[in-house]
Amino acid sequence: MTDRLRQLAAWFRALDRTVRRRVTALVLALVSASSIFATQHDVGIARDEMVYIGYGKSYARWWIDLVTFEDGVTSKKRITDTFGGDAPTAGNREHPPLMKTLLGLSRILLADKLELTDPVSASRAATALMYAAAVVMLFLFGTHVWSYGVGLLAALLLLFLPRGYFHAQLATFDAPVVTMWLATLFAYYKALGSKRWSIGLCIVFGLALATKHNALMLPGVIGVHYAYLCWRKGGQLAADGAGLGARLGWTVRAIVHVQPWVIVALALGPLVLIAVWPWLWFDTVSHIRDWIGFHLDHVHYNFEYLGENFNHPPFPWHVVFVTTLLTVPVVTLVGAVMGSVSLVKRAIEGTSVQADRAPGLLMVLSAAVSMGVFLLPSTPIFGAEKHWAPAIPTLCLLTGIAVVQASTRCSDLLTQMRWAPPSSASFIRMGVAAALGGMVVTASLGETVTAHPHGLSHYNALAGGAPGGADLGMNRQFWGTSARGVLDFVGQFAPAKGEEPVPVYSHDAQPAWNKYPKLGLLPPGLPDAGRETAGIAKSHIALVIHERHFNRHDYLIWDRYGTVQPSFVLTHHGVPLVSVYLRENLRGKAEAESPSE
Amino acid sequence: MAVALWEMIVTAGIAALAPTAEDWRAAAQTVREQHRPGELIVFAPDWIDPLGRQHLGDRMPIEMVARMDAARFGVIWEIAKDDARSPETAGLEPVHTEEHGPLTLRRYEREPAEVVTDFTRHFGKADVSGQQVGRARVVLTEVGFEPHRCIQVVPRPDQSAQVRFTAAELGSELVGYVGLADVFTRRDVRDPGRLTVTIDGKQVAEVTAGVDDGWVRFAAATEPGPAEVEFTATAVGANARDRRVCFAAEARR
Repeated sequence: MTDRLRQLAAWFRALDRTVRRRVTALVLALVSASSIFATQHDVGIARDEMVYIGYGKSYARWWIDLVTFEDGVTSKKRITDTFGGDAPTAGNREHPPLMKTLLGLSRILLADKLELTDPVSASRAATALMYAAAVVMLFLFGTHVWSYGVGLLAALLLLFLPRGYFHAQLATFDAPVVTMWLATLFAYYKALGSKRWSIGLCIVFGLALATKHNALMLPGVIGVHYAYLCWRKGGQLAADGAGLGARLGWTVRAIVHVQPWVIVALALGPLVLIAVWPWLWFDTVSHIRDWIGFHLDHVHYNFEYLGENFNHPPFPWHVVFVTTLLTVPVVTLVGAVMGSVSLVKRAIEGTSVQADRAPGLLMVLSAAVSMGVFLLPSTPIFGAEKHWAPAIPTLCLLTGIAVVQASTRCSDLLTQMRWAPPSSASFIRMGVAAALGGMVVTASLGETVTAHPHGLSHYNALAGGAPGGADLGMNRQFWGTSARGVLDFVGQFAPAKGEEPVPVYSHDAQPAWNKYPKLGLLPPGLPDAGRETAGIAKSHIALVIHERHFNRHDYLIWDRYGTVQPSFVLTHHGVPLVSVYLRENLRGKAEAESPSE
Repeated sequence: MAVALWEMIVTAGIAALAPTAEDWRAAAQTVREQHRPGELIVFAPDWIDPLGRQHLGDRMPIEMVARMDAARFGVIWEIAKDDARSPETAGLEPVHTEEHGPLTLRRYEREPAEVVTDFTRHFGKADVSGQQVGRARVVLTEVGFEPHRCIQVVPRPDQSAQVRFTAAELGSELVGYVGLADVFTRRDVRDPGRLTVTIDGKQVAEVTAGVDDGWVRFAAATEPGPAEVEFTATAVGANARDRRVCFAAEARR
């Protein structure tokens, strides 16, 4: 057995590095995309998905009409009808178009044309592929800068991130913006060494802006990093013993020495945004102002945090830290601390890898900027960790660095203590790295599997899982996806053919409710009853998707139904997610118990 | 490595530690066998409440769940997960305890408050006047993310409305609560409401209910016997629209 492993290790090490890297990247891409796509079927439809999927088809149709030279496609009227309008959310113009367009193209291809899957899954395939691209990019970057082991670990930890994995299964923008954020940083990194990559940076940055408004913070990351490189170059250019003023002067001069084309690329990136967003082809300034203004003045949704309901600033400065501490796998958090210490130590010793481009600093700045804005008391917190999702790859990378370093130290120790012959050093090193890395990845994988399909209700082992999160008064969920778990129960009350429909007050699942029968997940005859008190009054079945501020919906239902007793409660590790109430005439038919997951 | 192992073990154990349907059934069974009408049923921590109501909701009338407070209940049944305790049982020692998996069933007994007048129940006899939007009425509503049956008055901005009970029978204490109903009105408008209580024209309590204050208690010593009790609800401030001032009160012996 040991000999076989040795042979396998030797064969692996003998592989050409480029081949090894490419094969690994391909396997990561396939495993990521296929696993995400396979598991998304269990996840209910998010409220926002209905909007994006709907507009995605019309956006995609517009582009298809453009490249097939349909008449009038570039008219102001057609563009306005598709991408915009007078109301702040007309045409979903408050969000840029890239992902919606890709969702739409994916849907048209996979569902409408090839009939391989349903429209929701077809749309979600685009997000799955985007997140797989993020996993691969992190692998390639980690491998290129540090080592194969660092890259591989970082990639797997990014994939097995409970909340990140959840968002990767949805037709939304939160996973894709991680991809585009990383792509922009890596393009910048490459551009520091190659002027030609500045073109790539320009394009990718523009596409990142076209993915989600988080990308507006990217110049902050790149700007600070570039300033650091200029400061360092300035020090090299300045005479020995030069004062601060002289140093600053040389720093400014260094702007044109380091790689000034990145500045040009960032400045021109918004032109790419405009090119791919027809709504910006006219009244450009006011439309951009509307887009950004929408988010600066965004309504504050209710959000529970540490037992308090927040719906109005000021928001606690520690939301970003506490939420990250309680949702990211603990191994990744601990590894990130250890990896940070390692990076700092190497920087002080002057032994940082690729020090001329400071990759560690770039990734740390990436996390700091994307998280830092949430220290402001006015920044909305209602999306939890998805707001700063681009920060998490940094934690994964730092953990990869820590684990590989620990493996090297451990295997060196084993060799020094003569527990293994020196000739086996590389084999031991690989074995220890595989064992340590395997345990870290397995712990992360375990959290991700445990979270599925209710990722937004998941809290890590430090929190005590979903029950611990509930005890701490952390946000239970949002978007209404957990309604998927009550469809079987509700479905048993479907009317027979020819009978009257049984209206359902579907609460926060309302935008998606009428989609479930089309997907075959709910029998016909159980239509959505409408909103608020009018919907409850009309309903025979009523759902409450539990969040603290939604307690009021339980009480509205009690008032109308005359009972406080739900007939079914969906739980996740004992934590209630959805209550289902029945009118008196249906209660006798209820059979199912509340299952524990 | 130790952290990874620990995380794997804890994660694997989380689902196993949750109360099962059988645990709930067993705990609820004892309550069903021994519970009498008028005895309070509570759950702890509050997030297991939906499960508790699923198993025992038929023994929980809306009036019990939407109570003003627990003072009038002489017997309290509590189903709690792990070591949790309901605020209603604070300071009490259980007379009976039994465990069902991670659920603990406890029974408490105490001297209940004797209610002389329940103002919410007697709202039909009240005179309502003043500057209000719509009409004051008894509602089942959310105040402080809890259910309460209370008298809801919506004064016009910077105005007051009065709910007057002539010849209300009082005991030795008047106890009440007030808050702003409906989380969405509290989000969009941040101005508070205020409730002033007078007995025979003399102010005995004044409470300001802010958007984050929840269900705020007030109390006043009273002389037993009939008296005119007036509750004045005010929307504080010129921008204080849609202040759904909801209050409940009891005269206790």
